[in-house]
Amino acid sequence: MKRARLTLLLGTEIPILGFLAFAILPWCWMMLSSIRPERDLTRSPIALWPQTLTLINYIELLQRTSFAQNMRDSLIVAVGAVSLGLTLALPAAYAFSRFRFRGRQVLRTQFLVINMFPVVMLILPLFVLMRSLGLLDTYFALIGGHATFTLPFAIWLLTGYFEGIPVELDQAAMVDGATRLQALRLVVFPLAMPGVIAVGLYLFITSWNEYLFALMLAGRNVRTVTVALQLFIGEHQIQWGLLMAGGTLVSVPATILFLFAQRRLVGGLTGGAVKG
Amino acid sequence: MRRAVTPWAFLAPALVATAVLVLLPVLNTLWLSLHEVILFRPRSRPFVGLENYAKALTDPVFWEALEHSLVWVVCAVGLQFSFGFMAALLLNRTFAWRAVARALIVVPWALPSVIIGLIWTWMLDFNLGVLNDLGVRLGLLSASVPWLAQTGTAMASVILAVMWQGIPFFAVTLLAGLQAIPVELYEVASIDGAGAWGKFRHITLPGLATVIATALLLRMIWVANSLDLILVMTGGGPGTATQTLPLYAFLTAWSGGNYGQGSALAVILTILLLGVVITYVWRSRER
Amino acid sequence: MKRRTLLTGLAAALAATPLTRVYAQQTTTVRWWYHFDDPKATPDELVAAFEKANPGIKIQAENIPWGGGGDYDTRLYTALIAGNGPDAAMVKFNNLARLMEMTALLPLDKWIDAWAGKADISDDLWRLHTAPDGKRYYMPLQYVILYLYVRLDLLAKQNLKPPTNFDEFLSVAKAMTGGQQWGFGLRGGSGGHDSWMPFAFGTGAKPVKGGFVSPAALAQNRYFIDLYRTHKVCPPSAPTDAFLQVINNLKAGRTAMAIHHISTANDMAATFGDAITAVPVPRGPAGTGFATYGDGSNCVFSASKNPEAAWKWVSWLSEGPNNVMYNKAAGQMTVTKSGAANWTLHPKRFVDATVNSLPIAGVLPNLPQTADFTRVVWPQTTQKALLGQIEPDEMMQTFEKLFFG
Repeated sequence: MKRARLTLLLGTEIPILGFLAFAILPWCWMMLSSIRPERDLTRSPIALWPQTLTLINYIELLQRTSFAQNMRDSLIVAVGAVSLGLTLALPAAYAFSRFRFRGRQVLRTQFLVINMFPVVMLILPLFVLMRSLGLLDTYFALIGGHATFTLPFAIWLLTGYFEGIPVELDQAAMVDGATRLQALRLVVFPLAMPGVIAVGLYLFITSWNEYLFALMLAGRNVRTVTVALQLFIGEHQIQWGLLMAGGTLVSVPATILFLFAQRRLVGGLTGGAVKG
Repeated sequence: MRRAVTPWAFLAPALVATAVLVLLPVLNTLWLSLHEVILFRPRSRPFVGLENYAKALTDPVFWEALEHSLVWVVCAVGLQFSFGFMAALLLNRTFAWRAVARALIVVPWALPSVIIGLIWTWMLDFNLGVLNDLGVRLGLLSASVPWLAQTGTAMASVILAVMWQGIPFFAVTLLAGLQAIPVELYEVASIDGAGAWGKFRHITLPGLATVIATALLLRMIWVANSLDLILVMTGGGPGTATQTLPLYAFLTAWSGGNYGQGSALAVILTILLLGVVITYVWRSRER
Repeated sequence: MKRRTLLTGLAAALAATPLTRVYAQQTTTVRWWYHFDDPKATPDELVAAFEKANPGIKIQAENIPWGGGGDYDTRLYTALIAGNGPDAAMVKFNNLARLMEMTALLPLDKWIDAWAGKADISDDLWRLHTAPDGKRYYMPLQYVILYLYVRLDLLAKQNLKPPTNFDEFLSVAKAMTGGQQWGFGLRGGSGGHDSWMPFAFGTGAKPVKGGFVSPAALAQNRYFIDLYRTHKVCPPSAPTDAFLQVINNLKAGRTAMAIHHISTANDMAATFGDAITAVPVPRGPAGTGFATYGDGSNCVFSASKNPEAAWKWVSWLSEGPNNVMYNKAAGQMTVTKSGAANWTLHPKRFVDATVNSLPIAGVLPNLPQTADFTRVVWPQTTQKALLGQIEPDEMMQTFEKLFFG
């Protein structure tokens, strides 16, 4: 084997396989559990590999529960949260990284205070607020709730990425006649794309996995997958098969999204920019 | 004139959104912590000043929860960061199936806490758990271990689960940060004869410094506040072995019904985290 | 102005606005919150049948996630506090004291007394469903009673019969323990208080003031803890074993006995056939016993705009054939005598074990602290005792203090 190929294999690919094994083996185990009869769960000694395979869990999940609609609801809320979150965070991060103004540090810290509270403590006043605004059980309640609670993290993360982009680039653009907003849109944003992708993924996943708001602020017309999954955990029964099938499906959208988005995570985007 | 207005114009949308939807409930919680608020006695809400706080500080369970929180945060974030960083460095390299590898690393992050809690609880099960089974078969364990039923191993088990969940966050965040480091710097360093460690120390680390610091700070805050996973896996048990401060606040408020006391506990946690953040901001100001 | 008053005022003011839409004058809508264990089961059939028999009333049934009980309760209390609660909901005894303190419940006495289905529900059940203040707020809907599953085939290997008292229980459990098998699947995790009470109160102690620290209760509690610590007839994971572990250990043959109730009967029968049966929980020497009654009721809220319509729905669900239909969907026992006579949903021996336990059925005190006891205080304290961090007697003292000060 060529030396370079061996180095790549041993130094990169095998370690990566190790990480991936750790990351996805539990998921694989869940997926295996979802395609085998529930009886296998209580087989002692444990049979690692299923003797019989069955798709009954998926059939029941998709046909006899509202899981498909719940995935759709989750998708709408998550996409909305990403859009709203980025729309609010991008200008704010730009302001924090490009301007030096009084109260900058205080404001930046103040944003973070919100996330220092366990959200469960805020749910009661938040519920009353949403009710007064007439937003209960609408997509807006969840999108708004998710976006504002992820906003501080998004702003801080984006600010960090923005600070990696030299101010000279903005100034060069403005010398050429661009406004601040155009500088953000045409210069900083494209160069910060990897950071935007990472923050976008963070916003998507946080919204997708969120349970408390989805439970309290919505539930009838808008029911996300996290709430739907909890319905499988009853008082006297646990629908293990449905949970495994649901759990397997629930991780797919984010993974696929990132499969496409990660193409933008390619180095060298800033290299050469200053020279031009 | 235009100079002074612009940053505020950029900040305004975010500020307004947070003020309305978040700041008000936070102030409300602060207010409630100064009263005796029992959820199922809505008519009686006497003002008690700092009594809830005094009770918390003389409560041995509070101090125990604080200690657990410290262990939880330091171990969880430390492990997540270390492995996440390694993964990011590896995923930054070029190899044929990189796209798939990057997508798959995200899987643990893309699962809701209830599922993660259930899978790990079940894999660690004493009688029917696959990890015990494999451990015994491969000779790593002499016998099955009741991971979640023993004080010593319960905390380790929940940390393992949250570490599994959190590695992708660091992997992706740091990977994005790595993209901003110009490739030319590495090329020049190679020409100058720098080895892998030298490049890492003098190019990678400085280039990533801000992103690392920010990611660590944010993740620390998130982990410090999170209670979902522990709630699902152990409920704070066995006994109170895995009860962290936010979980204690939550149970006090929503199970015990003592919302005033729970709010006070949450505020104490917030103040502690605020202290850490202020320290960070103050020190980074010197740059 | 106090922030809380401001918010509540705001909420109240806006509750009067067109946000709470008033439907067409002809139909009244009843919002009813429920939770079914099986998400594939729906009350649609019931709703359709009711609406057909009662034109002019529409039922808006909402399935709220149980989430270990916490989520359902949280959602209910929050909605009630914010003035956005349903007209009727499924509730448990756990909630009674708190709902009473919030004056959220409507007394149903005069309606119950005029109700045709009243006689079809046994006096035992009405006794259990009467609130501490003597009024009836809860309509019995479903129930289970905790009994003891026993693996007859495993016992038969050693010529043993299912235990009837605590001494027999211990010897059977010891005989069944060995290798990878344990005699009793003790539940120390969440929800375990239900299977602990038959032990603690089995020899005559009662869950009333002074009862938790009576000599009988203390002795029985020590017996319970000793099962794990001294006699080691339970799996090492027992302190945190909850529903899933206890049931799966039984199904996998790791334990020979476990306490649960009829909603798992069909699953057990499917797994073991006639090799498994259920018997009432062990009794004390004087024949005393305590079988935990697992309740499920409907209530009507005082804030409801349509209390009569809500009552019609709630009482309809508790009537003979309707209650049978309901429990087919819910998987529990019907509360009606007529329904129980011809009950075919579960194998007879499990129904017998349930019904035969009615005379010794009991519940926890109906106090505001009860919910906290079941969710947090019992698991945390019991686990500490099981792990030897506190003495069993201390455990009972903690409970006595929690309930009665």
